[in-house]
This record gives sequence, structure tokens and C-alpha cells, in this order.
Amino acid sequence: MMTHDEASELLAVLALDALEDGERTEIEAHVAQCPRCQRELDALREVASALGDSVEVLPEGLWTSISSRIHEDQNGDAPRTPELLIGGLSESTRSLQARRALSSRKVRSVVASFSALAAAAIIVLAFSLASANGHVSRLNSALSKSANDAVLAALANPKHTLVDLKSPSQVELAQFVLLPDGRGYLVKSNMPSLASGETYQLWGVINGRPISIGLMGRSPGLVTFTVSGNPSPSELDVTVEPSGGSSIPSSPVIASGAV
Amino acid sequence: MQEFSEASDAQLVTSIGRYSEVALAEVYRRHGGAVYGLARRVLNNATEAEDATQEVFLRLWNQPDRFDPTRGSLRSFLLAQSHARAVDAIRSLNSRRVRESNDAVKTARAEYDMQHEVGDLAVTHHVARALGELPEEERRAIELAYFEGHTYVEVAKILNQPEGTVKSRIRNGMQRMRSVLVEAGIRGVE
Repeated sequence: MMTHDEASELLAVLALDALEDGERTEIEAHVAQCPRCQRELDALREVASALGDSVEVLPEGLWTSISSRIHEDQNGDAPRTPELLIGGLSESTRSLQARRALSSRKVRSVVASFSALAAAAIIVLAFSLASANGHVSRLNSALSKSANDAVLAALANPKHTLVDLKSPSQVELAQFVLLPDGRGYLVKSNMPSLASGETYQLWGVINGRPISIGLMGRSPGLVTFTVSGNPSPSELDVTVEPSGGSSIPSSPVIASGAV
Repeated sequence: MQEFSEASDAQLVTSIGRYSEVALAEVYRRHGGAVYGLARRVLNNATEAEDATQEVFLRLWNQPDRFDPTRGSLRSFLLAQSHARAVDAIRSLNSRRVRESNDAVKTARAEYDMQHEVGDLAVTHHVARALGELPEEERRAIELAYFEGHTYVEVAKILNQPEGTVKSRIRNGMQRMRSVLVEAGIRGVE
């Protein structure tokens, strides 16, 4: 067993992940039962993090891969079963299984080809699509505002922008409200429910290129997202995609609206 | 909707524990760039960095209780996870060849990198100052270990120094940096 003094001398090296494997196991065993070393290690890890804290633009499609992996794991041995999903209204288990059909590896291969195409666009797109779910309603007050409240609040904001998305034949299929800070909400939708295995996907057109904002599910209901970065989208488009989503549109745009 | 954009990191992790993928998406939005940035810096390979980033967020999803807010910030926790994943990858045999081919370039520009590419947050100034105040030999040992994923034994070979000397340089350098950051009021390093 490593002594306290021996362990103490190696904490900085441990914080940099620069120990040999055998030493690492020994020192971690000591730290686990030594509050003093644990505090010291925590502080040194904060120093290391400050050193390594440089932000890069996230690759397009990486979040989609992570999200897909989460849903894939539901089929396997993962102990957790998320009830709240990226997408519109809560989706059924059957729909989830359909989403898993698109493996993260497959997503990556598509993403890789698109990344090169989008490399020039210096943007960060982040999205979150919320679902009405009783599970979440039990969260604390900071987390529990309903989607409807958020939509109403957005519409009450004098700086809001309404974007009507119409089909090629000029039928209004969806309306979004956008706020200056990049948040957006689906106000209403006339889009019909899709078959199992399909999802609506929302795109922001930036510099003429469609960038995925997120999936809206088979039957879009409560949908929110945030689009940040410069330039902002000039247009919102909707396509129908396989249920795991796509990194570039794989089918014609069914609804489009200028921002 | 849930105003996750206004929630604290700790609240988000609590929500992730309750199966909220939206909360995980918000954590990704806040810290994904840093997690990916560090992995990419260490691995010098975008695809491997994406894999490391995925693993970090999947682990947070599957084991949110591993984050203890009393022991540090979520960003620091995620960066530590990212670094560990990246180092694991870079020490694998498959990555070794790629890494060796990159080493010459990285070594040549390491000083420039350290001075110009560290973060864009409020602590940037203080980190730069802390680095600037380190003796060259301490800074170099930390660079090789942290940004290039070498063990201290490997660092000792690269620098042709005794292992004990390298351990001391890393320890002293980290403590010096810590002192500067403490003086600057950076939280969590006290």
C-alpha cells in the first residue's frame, strides 16, 4: 500500500493522467480513503482543466450520433431507459426501436462526408427539443415551465419573428416563433403523422447550406430549439427522414419558410 | 418547455439522472465544445476526438452519479473524463503510429500553442500568466504529459532527465500554476 507521502508526491502527475498503469491503481486506492489527498487531487484537476479549456466548434452531427447511441443502448445491456426523448411528443417504444435501426456508425459515415462540405461554415448550432412529459414536470421550478408557457412568452416578446413554413404548393404546414437570442418554438403544425421509422427533421439554411437543427418526431407537437452562431439561418426547412435523422437532407423539402 | 438554458449544471445532472435527454443536450451545448476541443488537442485527430466526446457524454448519461458537485465543476469533471479517454486512445497501439507522425509537428509548435490556444473564458488571462511564469523545464514537462498524453516515464526519456526530476517538475509546475490561479480568485483550485 502506498504511503500518504508517496501518494502526495504523485497527485500532480495523476491529475495530468501521466502515471504508469500500476502506479495509478495504487494511488487511486490511497486517494479513495484519504480525504486530504482527495481534496488536493480535486484542486489539481481543476488546474489541469483550466489548462485544457479551449473550445472548438462542435462537428455537425456529433450530437445526433450521441443521441442515437443512447437509443441504441436501450436495446442492449444498458441499465437506463430514458423516458424523455429528442423529438416532438413522447414517442412509443416501437418508434424508438425503429430509430435504433440507424446505427451511430452509419450516422458517422454520413456525417463525415457532410463535415467536409460544411467545414467553411464557422457556426455553432445547438438544439434542444423538448417533450411534454409528466416525468419532467416533477423537476424543480427552474426546470418545470411548460412548453406552452414558453411559446406564449415567446409570442409576447415584442422582438419575436414568426416564420411560416409552406409546402411547394403554398399550403401552410408549420409556424415557428423565433427570438433574437436564437431560441425557437413550434407554434402550430398541420404536418400529418408519419409512419413508424420516419421523422420530421428541421434544418436551418446558412450560407445556402442546410444545417440540421434537430428531429421533430413523427407527429410534431411541442418542439423547441436554440440556434446560435453567426450567421443565423436565412430559411427554415423541414424534410422527412429515417427515424434516426440524417446529417444532410435525404428527401425533398416538404415545407420551407424564409426567416 | 423546461428552461434548461437557465438551469445550473448541477440541476442539469439531476435531470439527466431522471432520464432527461434534453438536459443532456443542454450540457452538451454548454461544454461539448470544450470536451471535444481537449480531446482533439490531445489526439490531433478529429474522428478519434469525436469518439472520445461521445464516450464522455454517454458515460454521463449512464452514470450521472459519478459527478459530485462538491468535488468540482461539471466542466472540470467532463474535461477530466475527456482527457482520460483521449489518453487511453493515444496510448493504444493503433494510435501510436499516428501519434508519432504528429509528434514532430506538435513539438515544434507546442510553445506557440500553449501561449495562444488556451481557452477563451475569463480564466484565459490567468492561465496564460501562470504558464508564462513557469520555468521552461517545468512547462515542457507539463506540456508533454498533458497535451501529448505521455506518462512521466516517457517524458523523462524524451527530455533525457531522471524520472524523479520529471515528477518534481510536474509537481512544482502544477503547484505554481495553482498559486497564480488562487491569487486570481479562480474557484475550485484552492
